[in-house]
Parts: sequence; C-alpha cells; structure tokens
Amino acid sequence: MRERLRIALTKGRLLEQSAELLERVGLNCGPIRSPGRRLVHALPNYPLDAVLAKAPDVITYVEHGVCDLGIVGRDTILEKGGTFYEVLDLELGVCRFALAVKEGSDFYGSYRTRRVASKYPCLTRAYFAQKGMDVDVIQIEGSVELAPILGLADAIVDIVETGATLKANGLIPIETVETVSARLIVNTASMKLYKDLILDFIERCEKGVEQA
Amino acid sequence: MKLTINTPEGTRDRLFAECLERRQLRDRLTRLFRQRGFQEVSTPDTEFYDLYARSGCAIDQERMVKVADPSGKFCVMRPDSTTPIARVAATKLRTVSLPQRLYYDQTVYRVAGNGASREVPQCGVELIGAAGLKADLEIVVTAIDALRACGTAQFHVELGHAGFFRDLASQLEMAPDEVEVLRLMIEGKNFATLNNWWLSPHWGKPACEALERLSRLFGGEEVLSQAEELAGPTRAVDYLRQLYDELSAAGYASYVRFDLGMVHQMDYYTGVVFRGFAEGAGEPVLSGGRYDHLVEHFGRETQATGFGVDIDAVARTLPETSLPQLRTVVHYEPGYLAQALEVIDSRPAGTCELSPCRTLESSRNLARDKGVKTVLVLDKAGERMVPV
Repeated sequence: MRERLRIALTKGRLLEQSAELLERVGLNCGPIRSPGRRLVHALPNYPLDAVLAKAPDVITYVEHGVCDLGIVGRDTILEKGGTFYEVLDLELGVCRFALAVKEGSDFYGSYRTRRVASKYPCLTRAYFAQKGMDVDVIQIEGSVELAPILGLADAIVDIVETGATLKANGLIPIETVETVSARLIVNTASMKLYKDLILDFIERCEKGVEQA
Repeated sequence: MKLTINTPEGTRDRLFAECLERRQLRDRLTRLFRQRGFQEVSTPDTEFYDLYARSGCAIDQERMVKVADPSGKFCVMRPDSTTPIARVAATKLRTVSLPQRLYYDQTVYRVAGNGASREVPQCGVELIGAAGLKADLEIVVTAIDALRACGTAQFHVELGHAGFFRDLASQLEMAPDEVEVLRLMIEGKNFATLNNWWLSPHWGKPACEALERLSRLFGGEEVLSQAEELAGPTRAVDYLRQLYDELSAAGYASYVRFDLGMVHQMDYYTGVVFRGFAEGAGEPVLSGGRYDHLVEHFGRETQATGFGVDIDAVARTLPETSLPQLRTVVHYEPGYLAQALEVIDSRPAGTCELSPCRTLESSRNLARDKGVKTVLVLDKAGERMVPV
C-alpha cells in the first residue's frame, strides 16, 4: 500500500494561492515556494509529493493516475474535459468568462451567423449550443481582443478580471458565460485505493477554504 | 501524393512481451469462464448503428467509431460487447432454455476524448435469464476470481446499486433533467456543489441528506450502515447486505467494498453494479452489473447480469513479463530435420531455433549476430555443440 500521495499543482499565480491555502491548515509548503530545479517536491510534514505543471498537464497527470490529486482551474476542466472526480471548489483564482462585443454593436440583433473568437473554443461552442444558437467559433491563441478590432469576429469569449483591457480596446462585456475558480480533482482509482489519505487531504482543503 | 504508414492516433502495433502478457491474461480468464460453465460467443466487429440506438446504449454516439457500409446504412465498430450478445440471446438463442452463460474475448472500439480511436481488448461474461441473489453472487465472485486469476496483487471490487440513487431521487420529485444534473454531480464526486444551492429547496427530507452525502458513501461494509442511518432502511441496501453476507461466508469479504455513489449509466443498469480497482491502473480494471431491460429491446423478456475485464488496464497492474532468451541455434545437414525438430521441441519455448543457413560458417555468423554462444550441429557424426 502506498503511504504518500502525489499532487499536481498548476504553475503560476494559482500556485502561490494553493500554497497559501495548504499552509493555512498546517502543511509546510516551503519546498513548493522555492522549487529550484527540482520537479518533484516532498512536503516535510505531510505525506504528499507535489509536481508543478501547466494547467492542461495537471488534468493529464491525474487522469492517467500518475498523480492522485490535482489543483486546476475550472476553465481548463471545461475546455479539456476528462474523467476524474472534481471534489472541491477551492474558491481560488475566481474570475469570470464573459461574452464581450464592440461597444455599440448588437450581437443578438441579426439573423446572420455570428463569429466568436476565443482561446477556449470548446467552452464557447458548448455555451452557444446550450443557447441553441449556431456560431462560428474561431480559435485565437494570443490577444483575443484583436479579433473584433480587425473585423475577424463579432464577439469574444474570454476571462475578464477588471474589464480594463476590454475597455481600452473598445469592447464591453454583455453577459457572463461562466464563473470559474480552482478545483481539487482526484483520480477515480486513487480515490478508491487510498481513501483514508485522500479524504484527510480533502477535509484539510475544506477547512482551508472555510478559513480563507 | 504522400501516403502515411504509421498507425492511426490511439491505435498501436503490439510486439513480443506486450502480446505475450495479453495472451496469457486472456488464456487465464477464458479458462476460468469455461470452468464456470460459460460458453464462448463472438460477434461482428462492425454492427449497424441501429442496434445500439434501439437498445438505448449508454455510450454516446460521438464516442462510437463509424465505418462506411456498402448498403448505405450507418455502421459502427462494436463499442461494447454486451449489446450484441443480448441480441444473440434474444434471437439465435431464443429457443434455448435459460439461464445461458456466455463469454466473449473481443476488442471494443471507442473514440477517445481527443478524437483518437481506442481499441480496448476485453474479456467478459453475461449470465442471461437469471435474476436474484444467487445470480448476482455468481457474477460478483466470478469477477473477483477473474482478477485473482490474472495475478493482480492489490485489488478490490466495489459494489453499488442503481436502485439506491433512483429511489432517493424519486422522493425529491425533481424534473428528469434536474435528476440528471444531480446524478452527474454525484458521479463526479463533486462534494462542494451538492451541499449548497442544488438541494436547498429540499432541505429537511431524509432523502436529501442521503443524496448530499452520497458522493462520500464509499468504503468498507460500514458504508451500508451509514446509508441506513441517512436514508432509513431501503431495498437496495438490504440487498447489498445480503450479498455481502453471502460473499463473506464464501471467503470473499476481503475483496469487497461499496460505493453507493456509483451512479454511472443509470438508464442501463437496473440493480447491483460493480467496478474493480487495482493498484497500478488509474482506471477501473473491470466493470459490470445487472441490466434487466436490455435483452427485451430485442424481443425477449429476460433478466441479465455480467461484467467485462479491460485487459490493457489489468496488464498495467502486473510486473512486465520478460521474454525467453534465445540460447541455442541449431544447424542441421540435409536429412537431419527430424532430429533438429526433436531438439527444438524438447527445449523451453523461445530458447532454441533452427538456422536457415546452408553452411555451418553462416550459421555461426547468424548465432553471433543474435548474441548466442553456441551452435548445435546435427549431421552424420551425430549431435555436437560448436562454440561461436
């Protein structure tokens, strides 16, 4: 039987917030905060090894069972999908996906098929499918705000924090597509095989969320 | 035109040890199934899509691999084996008396999330025309014995019951699509979402409390008592307890656990459902359950239960098999083939092979290339070993 769990943490701003949450419930996250060149970090006072990864890779590692747990944004989960247990909303990195259009334009006021640019094509497609609306979804990797300015799209679906970037480019958010935050995910087999270890970790995370 | 020769995404060539491991697993499983009275059936690799549409198959259409059929009808590569076997039971075996014990050893084809096809070799059994405790018991112990036969070290089989969730949900008088959202949350073990907005209009009802806790109702036998505390006595939990008592009496208790939050494919399963988990595989190695309405879609009213083992998933839980090492090359002069074959057939498989070379010198070169130390020579002087 395994004695330690392995968790995949999303690199970047979310990592800092994840470490804060775990530290609130007494886990020593020193090794994660100063990772150096190492890729796997053993926590000194809790049976957990942490791997730092890009968000989509967190899902890949958990899905394949090489990591038992993962902390990843709901946006990545919606975009990438996959089979795992999504057990807890950690209420970290909360932001919203909004549909934004050029100021003064009427997105719904035409029978012409609308074009929507996004870094998240699956999420965008699913949103309009649920509205029963046909749209052309165009995937953009960089600054999505450019697409309506250049006349490539009628609207964009993107993460909005303050709305400043949108405003500077003459765009306004007209509706919220989805509010997203970081989630704790668990491999389906690990949940069953290491129940006690995993439930203990989930409970600690729940406490950490409450204490925030 | 550039023609590609690599295998399509998600498919693969298997070589040597990988083949041997899977062959051995399938041999062990099918031997057990035959021993328990199951008879083999095989069904076509391609089926009309209609078969799956008619049976209300739980596999999404977009996850089926489509193929062209000259008739112009829509065909799919077999996405599961139970549905065609139910068809066989309802048609070709219509006049054969029940129960029927059938097993299969064939590949199922699915489209994976990224659009790649996946070929999953499966071995499984179906017990058709038997309801009740003894039938469920037989299938569950066969599932446990199947994993034992495979040599999987650390595993357990988790039991649930489709009726438990269904009864609780019906007490809340929710709309069918609301029930589906609830089911998905429980299936995903979404601990957080369940206990806030979703159930709030129903607070106070005992069913509500049980549903809220359902994601966490998994583990050992104690889960059954916890479920009773939350939801009161239910038929589903009573039944699972009876099953557990029988399994314990037969010495299987240590392999059995429970997950009452196992609510997958609820349109399909009607009673006991189960999955096998083993250390080393990140997904279930086995899954099955009772599906009493499937066969009647094909015109014969009868109950059924069964399970399938995912051979690739089981293989991941086992240590890698090492292949036998070639130790001897046999060089024989014309007229000595019979003696050469006698030598080869008397040695362990894969340790000795014939040289196709005409001269001893080229046989020695061949042996050297293959890293073999000695050549066994058969000629009129008899049998002798020549160092390379």
